[in-house]
Amino acid sequence: MPNILCCYKWVIDEAYIRTGPAQALDMSIVDYKISDYDKNAIEEAMLLQERFGGSVAAITIGRPDDTKGLKDALSRGPQKAYFVNDPSFEDLEPAQTAAILADAISGRIEYDLILCGEGSSDLYAQQVGPRLAEKLGIPCVSYAVAINIEESRIKVERKTEEGLEVVAAPLPVLVTVAPDINSPRIPGLRDTLAASKKPVEEIGLADLPGPYEARIQTVGIKAASLMRNGQKFSADQAGVKALVEALQKDGAL
Amino acid sequence: MDFKLSEEQELVRQNMREFAQTYVDPIAVEIDENSRYPEEVIKRLGAMGWMGMPYPAEYGGAGTDYLTYAVAVEELSRSCAATGFTMSVHTGLAAGPIFYFGNEEQKKKYLTPLCNGQALGAFALTEPGAGTDVGAATTMITKDGDDYIINGTKTFTSNGPNGDIYVVFGWTNKEAGGSKGMSAFIVPKGTPGMSVGGHFKKMGIRASQTSEMVFKDCRVPKENLIGQEGMGLKIAMGSFDNGRIGIAAQAVGIAQAALDESISYAKQRIQFGKPISKNQAIQWMIADMATEVQAGRFMYMYAAWLKDQGLPYTKEASMAKVWCAEMCSKHASKAVQIHGGYGYCKGFKVERLMRDAKITEIYEGTSEAQRMVIAGNVLR
Repeated sequence: MPNILCCYKWVIDEAYIRTGPAQALDMSIVDYKISDYDKNAIEEAMLLQERFGGSVAAITIGRPDDTKGLKDALSRGPQKAYFVNDPSFEDLEPAQTAAILADAISGRIEYDLILCGEGSSDLYAQQVGPRLAEKLGIPCVSYAVAINIEESRIKVERKTEEGLEVVAAPLPVLVTVAPDINSPRIPGLRDTLAASKKPVEEIGLADLPGPYEARIQTVGIKAASLMRNGQKFSADQAGVKALVEALQKDGAL
Repeated sequence: MDFKLSEEQELVRQNMREFAQTYVDPIAVEIDENSRYPEEVIKRLGAMGWMGMPYPAEYGGAGTDYLTYAVAVEELSRSCAATGFTMSVHTGLAAGPIFYFGNEEQKKKYLTPLCNGQALGAFALTEPGAGTDVGAATTMITKDGDDYIINGTKTFTSNGPNGDIYVVFGWTNKEAGGSKGMSAFIVPKGTPGMSVGGHFKKMGIRASQTSEMVFKDCRVPKENLIGQEGMGLKIAMGSFDNGRIGIAAQAVGIAQAALDESISYAKQRIQFGKPISKNQAIQWMIADMATEVQAGRFMYMYAAWLKDQGLPYTKEASMAKVWCAEMCSKHASKAVQIHGGYGYCKGFKVERLMRDAKITEIYEGTSEAQRMVIAGNVLR
């Protein structure tokens, strides 16, 4: 009967980002969403609860008015949510996120399994899961595509470049999930309406030891640009030679 | 004035959008081509609580306000007007009379399966000789002991071929005349004497099933009378007030889809060396479309808000319906224009949108009927 804690990040929905002149980003009409792979993490938590019982809680860090994300997360199944919030919790970098989560969880929340997405939709640093596990002193199994709970350990199939690796780890443990692991459910109407009634425990900056200094500073973000060289190569021996040389010059070969 | 949807309402819209993209978009073309009722989608909508949104949980509904329900109809219609309409006529015109005018037993027996998606509702008022002129109906309903016997023919019954619970109107007292002579009855599928007549092959909303219904000595117990004898017209008109908000929302959904398609196509289509979205003529067409979709949205939301506040909303519901319907027809046609020759062909969504749009000007009260309602209200 595992206690599962799933972490989610409330991020800008990149579909709404527009590009302005000089590759500047126009965020004027952006909406927000739960980071894509975090939806897989929440879904996996619910699937595991269906199989093994126990409890599922969601946890997130954000600004005090990021309440829509809580309702969204709760509509996907968790029985309660922890909302670690402060106006300064904006544009955090992974080391900060992991430190805040570790302090919020330690001694306050009981857990057997912590689930995270393998990386966030915005930064995709893939660091919070491993950093958090390290701070909590628990094992970290990443890129999970299948999870099984056996007594007091888990068995995880990991997707690696070499192939599928099967790993076992004792509880408590942190697992980051790959998007292949499941297909997140679309919340039904009743689930969405019930979400507002589920308990949300707020944890403020004053409740945490702090401070949480950023180690990485974002100097700027620009839109990626695609420039075409417009080189044409003929389909004969000379052309092939020219193509190979061009690729080598570019460092592609 | 607060023009914002609540977080919950925004999430409901988002969920319906995701539902429609996942389950409806992939089949929308096929169900239109084959005039096929999307049973699997309607069942899924029912299972997920979408088929009885504004009715209380004790009857299997979701207990949302009407505004939230209307927003959901808009989102669903944006993917498929026929599916949106099926949800709307079931919720507004079939479940509505039972909820607002039925007794406790009727609600438990009929409203509950409608709301939890187990039964599909249908509304049988219109007849071959009685459209806008409801009073020209010839369906007679005669009392016989503890039963009533229905004889007559209904036409343009949406969900007729595949309905489970029908709300049927007819004369229980012809001499009393229009406002006092008609009554409404619940007739479950399979009742002897009720049969599905000819199916209609329609220009648009082809996945929605429409047929005649034939009643020949169809016997129903008196327990199936909704309200009291003579309340038929009141029940019909009251149901239309609600249904019209749904149709206005459906029309806005169609128009929004037309706008989405037009923006996307205009940016891609290159003529004279540049996308046609750079041409002022196209820009103005799209500007007008965006402006009027926004205006239409506020109109149906306002009517829904008035209803939720317990304020009179008949006039506003009619205004929203007539305006949004004519707006969506106009802009669906403009969307085809923006697409040029391609817009006239199967394989482009705007072709279906234009065919679907027209009916919004006709059913649940023609635009002419709406104008009568509005003028009657305004010139009092």
